[in-house]
Amino acid sequence: MNIIVLIKQVIDVELNLRIKDGALVEDGLNYVISSWDETAIEAALQLVETVGAGEVTLITIGPERASDALRKGLAMGADKAVHVLDSAFDGSDSFAYARGLAKLLETREYDLILAGKQAQDTDAGLTPSMLAEFLGLPQVTNIVKVDQAEEGKMVLHRKGDHGNEVIELTLPAVVSVNDSLNEPRLASLRGIMQAKKKPMETMDLAAIGGDASLVGESGRQTKIISLLEPEARQAGKKFEGSEEETSKQVIDLLLNEAKIFA
Amino acid sequence: MAKILVVAEVKGTEIKKPTLELLSHAKSLNIDTEAVLIGDGVSEQAGILAGYGARKVYLADDSSLGLYNTASSTALVLDAVKQSEASQVWLSASELGRDLTPRVAARLGVGALTDLTKLEVDGDEITAYRPSMSTKVIQKCGFAKEGIRVLCIRAGAFDAADAEPATADVVNLSLPEQDIRALVKEIVTESTGEVDLQEAEIVVSVGRGVKGPEGVDFVRPLAQVLGAAYGSSRAVCDAGWAPHTAQVGQTGKVVAPDVYFAIGISGAIQHLAGMSGSKLIIAINKDPDAPIFKVADYGIVGDLFKVVPILIEEFKKIKEA
Ligand SMILES: Cc1cc2nc3c(=O)[nH]c(=O)nc-3n(C[C@H](O)[C@H](O)[C@H](O)COP(=O)(O)OP(=O)(O)OC[C@H]3O[C@@H](n4cnc5c(N)ncnc54)[C@H](O)[C@@H]3O)c2cc1C
Ligand SMILES: Nc1ncnc2c1ncn2[C@@H]1O[C@H](COP(=O)(O)O)[C@@H](O)[C@H]1O
Repeated sequence: MNIIVLIKQVIDVELNLRIKDGALVEDGLNYVISSWDETAIEAALQLVETVGAGEVTLITIGPERASDALRKGLAMGADKAVHVLDSAFDGSDSFAYARGLAKLLETREYDLILAGKQAQDTDAGLTPSMLAEFLGLPQVTNIVKVDQAEEGKMVLHRKGDHGNEVIELTLPAVVSVNDSLNEPRLASLRGIMQAKKKPMETMDLAAIGGDASLVGESGRQTKIISLLEPEARQAGKKFEGSEEETSKQVIDLLLNEAKIFA
Repeated sequence: MAKILVVAEVKGTEIKKPTLELLSHAKSLNIDTEAVLIGDGVSEQAGILAGYGARKVYLADDSSLGLYNTASSTALVLDAVKQSEASQVWLSASELGRDLTPRVAARLGVGALTDLTKLEVDGDEITAYRPSMSTKVIQKCGFAKEGIRVLCIRAGAFDAADAEPATADVVNLSLPEQDIRALVKEIVTESTGEVDLQEAEIVVSVGRGVKGPEGVDFVRPLAQVLGAAYGSSRAVCDAGWAPHTAQVGQTGKVVAPDVYFAIGISGAIQHLAGMSGSKLIIAINKDPDAPIFKVADYGIVGDLFKVVPILIEEFKKIKEA
C-alpha cells in the first residue's frame, strides 16, 4: 500500500505563547510536527507493516525550517519526503494549502492520503477534506481505529457524535486521524542516521505546476484580522478543610449565589 | 440581501439543541433564514425548525439517510444552497459539522471558518472569533474574498430562544446518487442512552483521579441525580474506563453547559479547551495546586471519594424538597 502522509510543521503550542499588537511574539517560538500528523505517520507505518508491501511518502508545504519536520518523520521510518518550498505559499489558509497539495498530488500515484484531523496551529480541520474534494476522492475524517486494511479497501472507525461509525472505504481516499488512534513511535538512533540518506525532494510552485494567484495571500479565502489573548477565567473560590464542610459550602454557593436550581 | 441556510442536525429523529441555537441567533439578527433537514423519519421535525424561525425547510427524508454520509449530505446541502440562494451556510461544530463543513465549502469553491465561539454579522460581512493553538490564542478572523460564507459554530455560542408555533414551508430535495466509496455500515454505540454531552445543561466529568472503572461507577450517581451528562478526561477514555464518546477536550467534545463538574481532573490545557466555555465550573481535586483550580469558580480541595457521596446526598435532598 503506497501512502502519502501530509504533515505540517507548527508552532509548539506546549510552550508559553505571547501576543503583542495582535500578533504572536516570534521570540522563543519552537517548531514541531503537528501532533496529529505524528499519529498519521505512525498509522502509515503500521499499515505498510500490516499489508506487507508499499511505501510511505511525507509531504509538506512549508518554509525552509519545515524540512526538520520531514527529517523527523523519515527518522520514524517513512521512506521519502517531498518539501514544497516557495514563498508564494506564505499567508496561505487551509483552502490555499489544499489547492497546492491537490496540484502536487494530481499527478502522483497512491492508495491512501493520511493527514491529521486538524493542525495544532490553525485548529481548523479543513485541509484534508478540501483536498479530497479537489481530488474527487472520498474522505473519512477523525478516525480512531483501523479495523481492516487490504489492497484497495479498508474498514475504519470514525469518531461520530453518537458513537463510532464503522466505515467501509474503497481506496484511494483521504483519511484524517484522531490522536487516540495510536502512540507514535520515537525515532531510534539508527532511524535518525538512516533518515539523513533518505530521498527528500524539494519543489517550488512552478515545479508542481501551481498558479501563484491560487495560493498564499492571493489565493486564501479567509484571513486572520488579529490574534487576541483568550479571556482568562478568573480563579474563583477555593475551599480547603474537612470534606463535610467544603462540600456544604459549595452547595450553599450553588444554591444562593449561582442559583443553579432556582 | 443576506440569507442564511442552517444545516439541521438530528439525533435519531429529534432536532439537536445546537441547531436550535443557530436558528435562534439567525432570527435575532433579522436575517432571512432557511434550513436543510436530512435524515430518516425526520419530516415531522420540519415544523420545529419553522417554529425557531426557518422560513423554508429543504427536506431529505429517506431510509438511506439514517446514518450520516459525507457524500450524500454534501450533495443535499449543495442542492439546498442552490435552491435557497443562501449567502451563508451555518453548521454546528459537532463531529458531523466538522466533517461536512470543509467538503461543502470546497465544493462551493470558498473557504470556511470553523469552531467559532463568537460572531459579528453585518449582512454578509462576518467577523468571527475562534480559539486556536490549544485555546492559547483567539483568532479574530474573516473572509478575504467574496462568496458564500460557510461558518461552523460551536454549541453554546448562542442561546436557544423559545419556539413560536409555525408551519413549515417544505421543499423536498431529490435524493442524490449514493457514493459507495465510503459507506457507514453501523454505529457501534458506546454511549448508554445517558444525557448527551452537547445537549446537557449540567455536565459531570471524571479524570484519572477516580482510579479505575469502579471509580467511574462511583461518581455516576452524581450525574444521575443532577440529570447531567457524564463525561471524562482523555486519560479515562484511553485507559478504557469510559467510552471515547465521553471525552471532553480539544480532541473530544467541546461543551459549554451551565455547570461543569471536573472531578479528579488535573486541568491539562487540552481538557480546558473543551470546557472552559462553561458558565460555572466546579472542581474537586485533592491537589491544591492542580491547574483546574485556576479556571474553577468553586473549588473543593479534597478526596473525591469522600466529597462525591456527600454531594449526592445533599443534591438528593434538594431535589426531593
Ligand atoms: C494532542 C493532544 C490532545 C489531547 N486532547 C485531550 C482531550 O481532548 N481531552 C483531555 O482530557 N485530554 C487531552 N489530552 C491529554 C491531556 O494532556 C492530559 O493528559 C489529560 O487531560 C489528563 O487527564 P486527567 O486530568 O484525568 O489525569 P491526570 O492529569 O493524571 O490528573 C488526575 C488528577 O486527579 C487528582 N486526584 C487523584 N486522586 C484524587 C482523589 N482521590 N480525589 C481528588 N482528586 C484526585 C490528581 O491530583 C490529578 O490532578 C491531549 C493531549 C495531547 C498531547
Ligand atoms: N502546509 C501543509 N502541508 C502539508 N500538510 C498540511 C498543510 N496544512 C495542513 N496540512 C494537513 O492537513 C491537516 C489539517 O490542517 P488544518 O486544516 O490546518 O487544520 C494537518 O494535520 C496536515 O495533515
